[in-house]
Amino acid sequence: MTATKIENPIIQVDDLKFYYPGNARALHGINLSFPEKQVTALIGPSGCGKSTLIRCFNRMNDLIDSCRVEGEIFLEGENIYGRRTDIIELRRKVGMVFQKSNPFPKSIYENVIYGLRIAGEKDKKLFDERVESSLKAAALWDEVKDRLQESALGLSGGQMQRLCIARAIAVNPKVILMDEPCSALDPKSTARVEETIKELRNDYTIIIVTHNMQQAARVSDFTAFLFEGNLIEFGVTDQLFVKPQNKQTEDYITGRFG
Amino acid sequence: MNPAFLNKIKRNDRIARWVITIGGLAIIFSVIFILILIAKVSLPLFLSPDKDLYASFQLNADSAADKIVALGMDEYLETGYTIDQTGKFEFFSVVDGAVLDVEQIVSETGSSRLISAQSYGRLKHVLIWDDGSLTINQVSFFSSFDEKSNNHRTIRHRIEQLATFPAPAGDMPIQSLARVDEEGRRVRVDLFQDGTLQATVVEESESLFGDAELVETTQPLEVASTGHISAMSLSTAGDKLYAGTDQGEILRWDLSAGEKPVLEEVTQAFSDQREITALNMVFGDISLIVGDCQGGLTTWFPVRNTESGWKLTKIHTLRGHSQPIDYVSPTLHDKSVVSSAGDGMQLSHMTSERFLVGISPTEEKISRYALTTRGNGVITLSDNGRIVSWKLHIPHPEISLKTLFGKVWYEGYAEPTYSWQSSASTDDYEAKLSLTPLIFGTLKGTFYAMLFALPLAIFGAIYTSQFARPKFKGIIKPAVEVMAAVPTVIIGFLAALWLAPLIERSLGSMFLSLILIPAALMISIALWQAARKIETLKQIERGYEFLVIAPVLIMAVAIAIVLGSGLEHWLFDGDLKQWLFTETGTHYDPRNCIIIAFAMGFAVIPIIFTISEDALSNVPPSLKAASLALGASRWQTVWRVILPSASPGIFAGTMIGFGRAVGETMIVLMATGNTAIMDLSIFNGMRPLSANIAVEIPEAPVDGTLYRTLFLTAVILFVMTFIVNTVAEIVRQRLRAKYGRF
Amino acid sequence: MAMKTKMMDKYWRVGEPMVWFSAAALAATLLTAFVLLIVIMVNGLGVFWPSDLQQLKLKDGSLVIGELIRTEPTADKSGLRRQYKIANRDLYGLDFRWIDEAQIVSEQTPQQLLVLERIEHGDFFGELKNIQVNGELKPGSLAELNAAVDNVGNELQVLEELENKLNDASYQMERLRLKVLKLDYKKVPADDQARIKLNHEKTKLDSNFNHLVKVQTNRVTRVRQDKAIFADAKGQEKEIVLADIVQVYAPNQMTVIDKSIFYAKKLGELFVGEPRESNTEGGLFPAIFGTVMLIFVMSLFSFPLGVIAAVYLREYANEGLLVRIVRIAVNNLAGIPSIVYGIFGLSFFIYGIGHGIDSFFFPERLPTPTFGTGGLLWASLTLALLTVPVVIVSTEEALGAIPREMREGSYALGSTKFQTLVRILLPMASPGIMTGLILAMARAAGEVAPLMLTGVVKLAPALPIDGNFPFFHLDRKFMHLGFHIYDIGFQSPNVEAAKPMVFVTTLLLVLIVLIMSSVAIYLRNKMKKRYTFGTF
Repeated sequence: MTATKIENPIIQVDDLKFYYPGNARALHGINLSFPEKQVTALIGPSGCGKSTLIRCFNRMNDLIDSCRVEGEIFLEGENIYGRRTDIIELRRKVGMVFQKSNPFPKSIYENVIYGLRIAGEKDKKLFDERVESSLKAAALWDEVKDRLQESALGLSGGQMQRLCIARAIAVNPKVILMDEPCSALDPKSTARVEETIKELRNDYTIIIVTHNMQQAARVSDFTAFLFEGNLIEFGVTDQLFVKPQNKQTEDYITGRFG
Repeated sequence: MNPAFLNKIKRNDRIARWVITIGGLAIIFSVIFILILIAKVSLPLFLSPDKDLYASFQLNADSAADKIVALGMDEYLETGYTIDQTGKFEFFSVVDGAVLDVEQIVSETGSSRLISAQSYGRLKHVLIWDDGSLTINQVSFFSSFDEKSNNHRTIRHRIEQLATFPAPAGDMPIQSLARVDEEGRRVRVDLFQDGTLQATVVEESESLFGDAELVETTQPLEVASTGHISAMSLSTAGDKLYAGTDQGEILRWDLSAGEKPVLEEVTQAFSDQREITALNMVFGDISLIVGDCQGGLTTWFPVRNTESGWKLTKIHTLRGHSQPIDYVSPTLHDKSVVSSAGDGMQLSHMTSERFLVGISPTEEKISRYALTTRGNGVITLSDNGRIVSWKLHIPHPEISLKTLFGKVWYEGYAEPTYSWQSSASTDDYEAKLSLTPLIFGTLKGTFYAMLFALPLAIFGAIYTSQFARPKFKGIIKPAVEVMAAVPTVIIGFLAALWLAPLIERSLGSMFLSLILIPAALMISIALWQAARKIETLKQIERGYEFLVIAPVLIMAVAIAIVLGSGLEHWLFDGDLKQWLFTETGTHYDPRNCIIIAFAMGFAVIPIIFTISEDALSNVPPSLKAASLALGASRWQTVWRVILPSASPGIFAGTMIGFGRAVGETMIVLMATGNTAIMDLSIFNGMRPLSANIAVEIPEAPVDGTLYRTLFLTAVILFVMTFIVNTVAEIVRQRLRAKYGRF
Repeated sequence: MAMKTKMMDKYWRVGEPMVWFSAAALAATLLTAFVLLIVIMVNGLGVFWPSDLQQLKLKDGSLVIGELIRTEPTADKSGLRRQYKIANRDLYGLDFRWIDEAQIVSEQTPQQLLVLERIEHGDFFGELKNIQVNGELKPGSLAELNAAVDNVGNELQVLEELENKLNDASYQMERLRLKVLKLDYKKVPADDQARIKLNHEKTKLDSNFNHLVKVQTNRVTRVRQDKAIFADAKGQEKEIVLADIVQVYAPNQMTVIDKSIFYAKKLGELFVGEPRESNTEGGLFPAIFGTVMLIFVMSLFSFPLGVIAAVYLREYANEGLLVRIVRIAVNNLAGIPSIVYGIFGLSFFIYGIGHGIDSFFFPERLPTPTFGTGGLLWASLTLALLTVPVVIVSTEEALGAIPREMREGSYALGSTKFQTLVRILLPMASPGIMTGLILAMARAAGEVAPLMLTGVVKLAPALPIDGNFPFFHLDRKFMHLGFHIYDIGFQSPNVEAAKPMVFVTTLLLVLIVLIMSSVAIYLRNKMKKRYTFGTF
């Protein structure tokens, strides 16, 4: 395994092992560091464990009964699997955008401020500000600014996904996890979402899972290649795609399998 | 994020988790609770009876045990009394023997010495004086509540002389019996040393001048037995006399006509000619208790026989004693039997043949005993002069698994039967609580209902899910679901007040339509074979069939109605019901299984339909496509591919429909005759478990036998539906796991 | 020919006739349902339509006035016979009569024939002879009669107010009696202050009550002096007190519009009127009210309990064997026969809890039970138990239909389980929950068997809500539409006369239940569509 050293990583993964119920190991000891305010892509064939890994960062895997995690993940130097970690605080720091866009059956406005509301925020002015800034950051503002009170379910697929991004950034997270955000979208919408991701990299650390290598190449600064629950290679995207250090990586990138 | 707020929402979350978990579990456990509670109410039916030693004390020496001829006790177990040979009634406290009161009785003839005494009825004592005269004395207890001293209960007593009998002319009898009935008719029976019997009847009769006068007749009784009379019993009213001999014979006389007593029967009761040592009559004066020298205890009553008329027949055999039986007596509120022998005394119930309670002291022999009138206590006197009283707790002596489910030979019946008849007008009536006819009724009603509902529901579901146009499916499915919501009280009402008279009026048409409808279907299908060559008409085969076939059905029924009465006229002399009765002996009951089949069938069709349709629709379309692609016809596809895959769902639907039919109450309550008979005929009604509960429970005294038995029927219903539903539910869960959703 | 047979063979082999048979099964099912509805409609809708009165002359020369009910063949099929409602139960003993058509010489519909709806003895058919108002007897017209009846009606309204006052007074007296009983029970001495006060109040109430009774008696006597004399078909005269007349009309004079107005008025009366003649006439108000109250109180229990249980099962319990068992248990709960619930309610609620309450709170009233007997509360609780599974199943289904992504989306933003539940899941599941509730309500509206054991009565003396403290009387017995049908259809002495009312009640109940369940099923299907085909 080749490792590219990252200075001051925002997330550092130390020897992470993950077991699904029934002791099926999905991750076999991952060591990885994620640079701050950069886009890191996780690639690999289906079932290689990239989604499992990304779901460890906001402990979404806790929702699965009787799964088990070994090893440590540090977010800004704090172990998120530590005893004192507050899962709610963690998830507010680590936002997530899902493969299938999932706006709530509420208005666009309410969708964006949902995170604020559940945190007990009641300031109307803050809401307005946050809706505007988040939607702008997600490049959706111009399209929806006249119909903020309409149901989010009336948006197109790409708009919905960008709304979910806006919803995630409305609570000011440090990290945004994206689990194949474009897999259910048409090419045009994909392009818009990718644009959005590129713009967000200035303010947020973004970790994106994708099985589309072109997309990884287009949007990410760093790329990690996972295969069968092992990290095969991690490096600067341009290098990894041009000069992969590992045979498996090369085979995958060149389309021999996957 | 604000830490205080964070704490607050976390606290709320924890509280909610607890509340929801506890609430959820509580609701869910209430199911089990319901069963437990209902079962708890019915459980005492099967508890074994208890006896508790209540009090015990030694009589003082001068009223020694051998002088005492009888004893008794009140039903509160407070005051007891003894009668000694001098005719002295001594009342004492049951607890410690402290004497409360003494009363001296003398015979009218002036005799003051008793030979013996017999007890019968409610603390009535026949006292036999040494000059041969008899008196009947009754002890009564009255309880009163003193309001001043905190409603304290005091018990007063009274001795009343009900009748006197002078000594018979001639010899002294060796055994005498006497009874007096409510109208004052007095009967005395004497057995003399030479084996002759004589009955003396004193009754009031109207003289020629219209005055009432007492007429006394003394008649010898015919004794036609080989053995000597060893035991006798006279009924409470004094109209029936039984005697047993040392050769195992029983003689039966009718004394109801005083001047003409009749020996009605001599029966060799025991072929081994064992001696009959004790006789008495069970409460109600129908059955005879027979105790013999081998300790056997049996009950008998006359059963009508075609050749020989009424013949005493052995009905029940109770658990016996190990020694010859000394004495048998009835209890005064039910059909229980008390017997005593050298090995102690015991209580058994005649009908249920249950052994209830035995009292067998180890060192002392019980010489006399008496039961309270309510049967809640017994007082015994041992030959050492010890008086012991026991509290008895015998809640439901008449119930045993055999009386609930088996054939029971009730008093007055010609043979053992399954019978449910919970109440009648008289006190000594014995409730007949066999659940078998009710379970039979439930199953019968359910069977006919399912016979009607299953084909319609399943074939309807097949058509809807596989052949009908999707747009029809979107209407039919909700329509059938709405059908499920029609209250059963309405279905029952229509069945009973609209359908039942209609079918009764046009029975012929109904049977005719059973023939005409399939015939019409066949004909129309054959015609269709020709018509479908026309391309436009063939469109109908794309899911419009049911619309086309509906008028055919209506036509068939209409023709049946028109022709029905004529046919009935022509074939059955205009009255099919009459014909049925005369030709096959079947009685036509207007509220019968046909009505139930229609009504209850209608009530369960929607359930079976919906679940089956769901199951059929959820078979993956790929299976269907694969089959069709292989060239199978649409029916072959359904029959060989879809039905097998969906069969668990259809089975589950059938089970749930079955459960619904078993428990349905209002329809059967209204549309069956509620007669608890066991008869498979489709023209008869029935009484199912559910309707039985609804009919009987308002009349059942709380915690009584009937009440508990009804709860037992509820448990049976519960268990029946529980099993059926659980099976269905497990099948459905499997199916759900297979196809994602049901 | 051979060719044809072969084709026929194939036709049978491929099973086409079976398709037709299954089509026939479906058609038969739907037709049965249709026939049921039609029967109820035909019999129920026509009840209030004022049909013409016919005057028949029979072969034996007698005259009959009656309303034609139906015509059918005679027993020997030789001709037709007609059933007439001849009313005048107090004169003839029977309301209905079969007349062979062969017997009828002529039939007319004379204009002057009247129908009188009376408080007692059912309707009266006949002609008006004289009216006796304020003691003077004079011949009168229908209009005059109507005016007189209206007048008396106003009087009667005053009397009714008086009656209400009397009822209040007797209620107060009963309360006083119970208070005295309580004092007795606590052994408060006779010279106690409270007792003296009560006695004082009692004397006051007694005198007030006696006064009211006297006033009432006087007024009643006065009102009952106004009468009218009528003659039946045979000319037999019958004097009827105006106060006993509910309304008079001459159907043969009415136009279709008149009749429609009349019909609408009667329909209105059905909803607000009190029942008469052992429930076979008059309105259904107490039964409707009782049904609504029952459903309402039942929902108060079954709705929250059902939702909580479903939320536990779907969101909180760990999926496993236990949950599977529990789910089976819940479905079983739905399948338990309703009569078993009734018997449970009887033993647990009435004899268990009810007796407990009585001996704890109202020992002075024993052995007269307060809560230890059937009542609205116990019936509602029993029905709540019966309907909880319906709510559980549909709520669970609704929660299960919500995609996992919704929950994940909410958790990913840092919300707690409870917040997710309240803000996302429950609002999304609300149509499903509503479906369950409506289905439960429809079930409660139609269920009768358990009520028979837990407190429904044929004629409740008072409504469960009134102006007397504490306003809600959950211990009271109540009336119910379903039981009404059973009662008047099967327990009434005059089944033939009761039939119209049973059909009207049936129609009403069927409409209520069908509308409720149609709404529920519509909601459910709509929801199903939304989650099955909607893209997010």
